[in-house]
This record gives sequence, C-alpha cells and structure tokens, in this order.
Amino acid sequence: MTKQKSSARFRFSGVMLFLALFFFLVPALQAGDYRLYMLAAGVPCAMLLCCTILARAFSLDRLILALSLFFCSVGIASLAMTAPDTALVQAVSCGIGIIVLIVGAILIRSLSGSLLTAISAAFLGLLLLAAKLIAPTFTLPATQPALTLLLIAFAVLLSREGPISAAGLGIAAAVLLMLRGETADALIWGLTILLLLFAADGRLLVVLPSLAAFALLFYGMYSMQTQTLVYPEALSADTLKAVGVLGADLLPEGLAVPETGSLFSRLLGHYGLVFTGLTVLLYLPLILRGTTVASCARMRFHAILAMGICLLLGLSTLASVLSFFGFLPFTGLEMPLLTTSLPSLCAHLFLAGILCGISGRNDSDLAEDAHLAMLAK
Amino acid sequence: MFSVSPEIYSVLSQASRWIFIFLALMLLFLAFSWHHTDRKERRDRFKNLPGAGTVGELVVLSGSDELPVDTWFPVPREGVLGSLRSCDLVIPCPGVSSHHLDFSWQDGTGLLIRPRVGCEVLIDGVPVTRRGMDMPLVHGSVLQIGSAVLRLQLFAALSHTNRTFIPLQPAVGSFSDPMPQPVPIPVQYPQEPVNAQPVFCPPPYQESVPLQIPVEPPMPVQPVPQPPAPEQLPVQEGSPLAPAAPRRKRADRWKEDWSE
Repeated sequence: MTKQKSSARFRFSGVMLFLALFFFLVPALQAGDYRLYMLAAGVPCAMLLCCTILARAFSLDRLILALSLFFCSVGIASLAMTAPDTALVQAVSCGIGIIVLIVGAILIRSLSGSLLTAISAAFLGLLLLAAKLIAPTFTLPATQPALTLLLIAFAVLLSREGPISAAGLGIAAAVLLMLRGETADALIWGLTILLLLFAADGRLLVVLPSLAAFALLFYGMYSMQTQTLVYPEALSADTLKAVGVLGADLLPEGLAVPETGSLFSRLLGHYGLVFTGLTVLLYLPLILRGTTVASCARMRFHAILAMGICLLLGLSTLASVLSFFGFLPFTGLEMPLLTTSLPSLCAHLFLAGILCGISGRNDSDLAEDAHLAMLAK
Repeated sequence: MFSVSPEIYSVLSQASRWIFIFLALMLLFLAFSWHHTDRKERRDRFKNLPGAGTVGELVVLSGSDELPVDTWFPVPREGVLGSLRSCDLVIPCPGVSSHHLDFSWQDGTGLLIRPRVGCEVLIDGVPVTRRGMDMPLVHGSVLQIGSAVLRLQLFAALSHTNRTFIPLQPAVGSFSDPMPQPVPIPVQYPQEPVNAQPVFCPPPYQESVPLQIPVEPPMPVQPVPQPPAPEQLPVQEGSPLAPAAPRRKRADRWKEDWSE
C-alpha cells in the first residue's frame, strides 16, 4: 500500500467517522436523550469496525463499503433529531443490511454464472413480483429484492446464453412491474437492461427490437394508467426558503410529516440544501467506482452484473431526485440506501456487497497474476 | 443525561451545520481523490503486468489482407470472437461472422469454444459443435474459422499454479500432425509473460490435410520460423536457447489492428 493511497483512505475514514459522531452528538446535547448518546457512540464504532476488520477479513472494496456506510449513517441521522426511536430501529436495520452486504460479497465470489443460478434467481425474482398479483394480501415491499435477483439472472443469461433469453426475461419483469403499477421501477429496469444489452452485444438486430418492445409496452401501459400518473406537488419557493442553506431542527411546513416522510425529505429539512446536494453528489464516486470494478472484471458475468448495479443505482438516484422536485410524474421513489424499508435497504446493500465482492475478486486475480510474473522471474 | 442550555445549543447547532457542509465537501473531494489514487495504482500494476487477465495468445497462421500472417492477439479468459470491432478478439476474415464463437478458459482443461448458431469452427481439423466442450483448445491447438487459421499459445506459467493445465490427447484424424504434448519442463520463464515466446513451441503449422469447411480456400500458409521443440534443442552448458524469430512489438500490432 502506497503512502498516498493510505493517506486518502485514512483521511476519508477519519472525516466520515467525525461526521457520524457529530451527527448524533449535537442533537443529543440539546435533549440529553440517552438514545442519541447511544447512537453517537455506536454508529461511529460500527463504521470503524466495518471499515477496518470486516473489510480486511472479507477483502471488501473499502471505498464502496465506506460510502455505503456513510449513506446508512446519513439515513439514521436524518431520523435522529425528531424520531430517536425510529432512528434506533433504522440503525438496527442498517446492521442487518451490513450482514447482507457481507453475504453478497461472499456469495458473488463462489457463485458461478451457471444456468441453474439464472433459473433459480429468475424464478424467485418473478415469483416475488407476481406474488402481489396472485395474492393481493401480500404487502411486503419486495420490488427491490426481486429486481436484485432478476439482475443476477439477467447478467448470467446475457453472459452465457446470449441476448435473446436475457431480453425475454427483462421484458417479462418489466410487464410484471407495470402490472403492479410500479411504473417508475419498470422504467428504470427497462433502461438498465436496454443499456446492458447494448453494451454486451451491440447488434442493432437485438437492441432495436428490444427498444421497440419496451416502447410499445410503456406506451400501452402509460395510456392505460394516465389517470393514476400524477406529478408530485413541486416544492414551493416558501418551503425551499424555509429549508434554506443550513436546514432546521424542526421540519418546515410543506415537507412531509416526520412519521411518514422519506429520508430524503427529512435530510433536506434538517440539514439544508447544500448538505443534501453534497450527499447526492457522493453517489457519483460510488457509481464511478462500480464502473471501474466492472471494467476490471475478468468474467463477463461479473462485468455485466457490476455495470447493471451501477446503472440501477445511478438511475434510481436520478429518478428520485427528479421526482422529488416534481420533474417526473412519480411519487414515493426513495434514494438507494436512504430508505426506511428494510427489504429495500437490504437489497441495495446486497448490491453494494456484490460490487465489493467483484472488486475483491479482481484484486485477488491481479495478485495471482503478479505471483505468476514473480514465478517467471 | 448531560444537556446544554438552549442558548449554547443554538450556537452549537448553527456552527455544526456549517461544519457538516465543510466535512461533506471534504468527503466528496477525498472520495474522488481516493478513487483516482486507486485507479492510478491499478494502472501502474497493469503496466508492470502486461499479460494480466490473459491466458495466452492466438497467432495468425493464415489470415487475410486485413489480418496478416504472424499477427497475434492476447487471449482474455472469456470473451467473444468475431469480425465486429466490439468483439474481444477481432478476426476480420471472410467466413467469420460478426459474433462467431464464445470462448472461456477453464482451469485444468483449456480454452473452451462454443460456436454461435450457424457458425462453424475446426479445432485441429475436427469440427466443433455448440456442445463441443469435450475438445477444448490447448497449447498448440490450431483453430480454423472461416478462412482464418490461428494457433493458440498458452503461457507456460499457467502450468505452475493451481490452474493445473492438463492437455488432452489429440483427436484421431486430426487436422495436422499430432501436436507434441507440452512438456512441463522447468523452464526459464520470460520476464514479462505476454511479450515472451512460450517455452514449448509446437512445430510450424503444416497443411498436410486439406481443410474441410472453409468458405474460401485458405491462403497458403507461410510457416513462421519457430525454434525447435524443446527436446530437439541443442543443450549446451551456459548457452542460451536458440533466438526466436524477430517479432513486431505488441503495441505496433495493436495499432494496426485497431487503426480503424
């Protein structure tokens, strides 16, 4: 490890831990709430443990892990000021999510891109999506876990069986998402797999029919659901003025009420426009790192999967921000890793874990090559 | 628990918000810096390991105007071979489809070849089907696709690790004379795996049996000067092996291959 590399890493980790500490310590000083003191002690310690011991033990990519942990801590901090109990629950959810992240990192190293993997992941993913249609009483928010499984199946099929079967699976998933009324997720999923098809195959013979099929599908469903698609109420100038650059302890009028509001709106209300904007910008290094991991991967399955994860996370972030400010006719979209839903949080952390695992595999491959070169000397 | 007065807290709260913004800005800068540093370090490592990620090279024995004889391609562990520029191995020859075949390296077996639907491939003169996993490319195997004839040369170091390389017996009625089996002799490994000659080179390609499936008759093969097989090398104490034929630099070849 070079001095320069360790310097950047240690500075980043130090700043992140410092930030995580003061996220909870400042509100704790106001109320003297023991729960906030617990969070102020526990969250930085957990982050330190993950960034050092776990990252080394499981050969995880430290930047992706650190950024994922930072987003988790921001999510907890946005709840801490007004809902300490919910913040504690969110902290526990993040702990579960970190375990899922490690499972994802281990799993992807041992998972071969076999047909059995594709079939089982596709079956589970489609079943989760169809469950709500089959049994309307099924209310578990399973969209993100299903998309995760379907992305794995899609990557296996695209790398192993070719684009036709992969496009078929993608269109089937998009149809199910549209039938569930989750147009935004269907749109993000459709764009992701179209871009992956174009990147992996590049033949117009494959891409154009897929594009036409998706266009027809979306046009049909859009014309059917025009009544239900409503542009969210754009944030008024008064609300933005109340939020201001720095935010406030109490959420201003116009933002969602604390108990039901999304983490993004809480973050905006409590910490202001500038900090929220910088937090959103921190998704960029995460996605950039993911694309680097994808470009360095040795296996086509890993490369397609890593690129798919980057696309899925990037497009979800963009769609959430645009819909929050009223530029897209969707409501209820949440930022990746900034969500109170445990299945969604686990799914996003599982995706981050897959990126970490592929990165670790790339590093071990490179180390093996270096060993071979050393043998050759 | 300990708490502060509202006046102190209001000052602290305002100050902390500015500090949060400053720290977030630092985090953003440091994240990009960290990413950039890692990329730079990885690039440097790749410079020192030019063969990283590849298992050997395919040498053109017979090609076309766009693919002259003796051109060679580094072979990645997985990929697609075809005539399109987006393929991992680009073979611009008559009879080669845009996406002709998929290949993947399997430890202990060799380079598995899976032709796409409607594409024909010969390995050592034997046609390979889509399910033809039983006949992988091994060191010295000759691959014929369309009018192109290519020979695979694996890196000798692959036989030294857990990627144990077990070459298969040549098929009956093979395309050329039976290839000499790679002998796992302790060899002087090249300084840089990619740029060096493989240690056990098969004899030059000989067109002893007429090809069966070519779309166009193959170009007459120009035998590439090769050092003799290891067992034929005159062993002299203190003298180096026979010098290999002069080869163009890899960068020059890639410049030509990707000039378009």
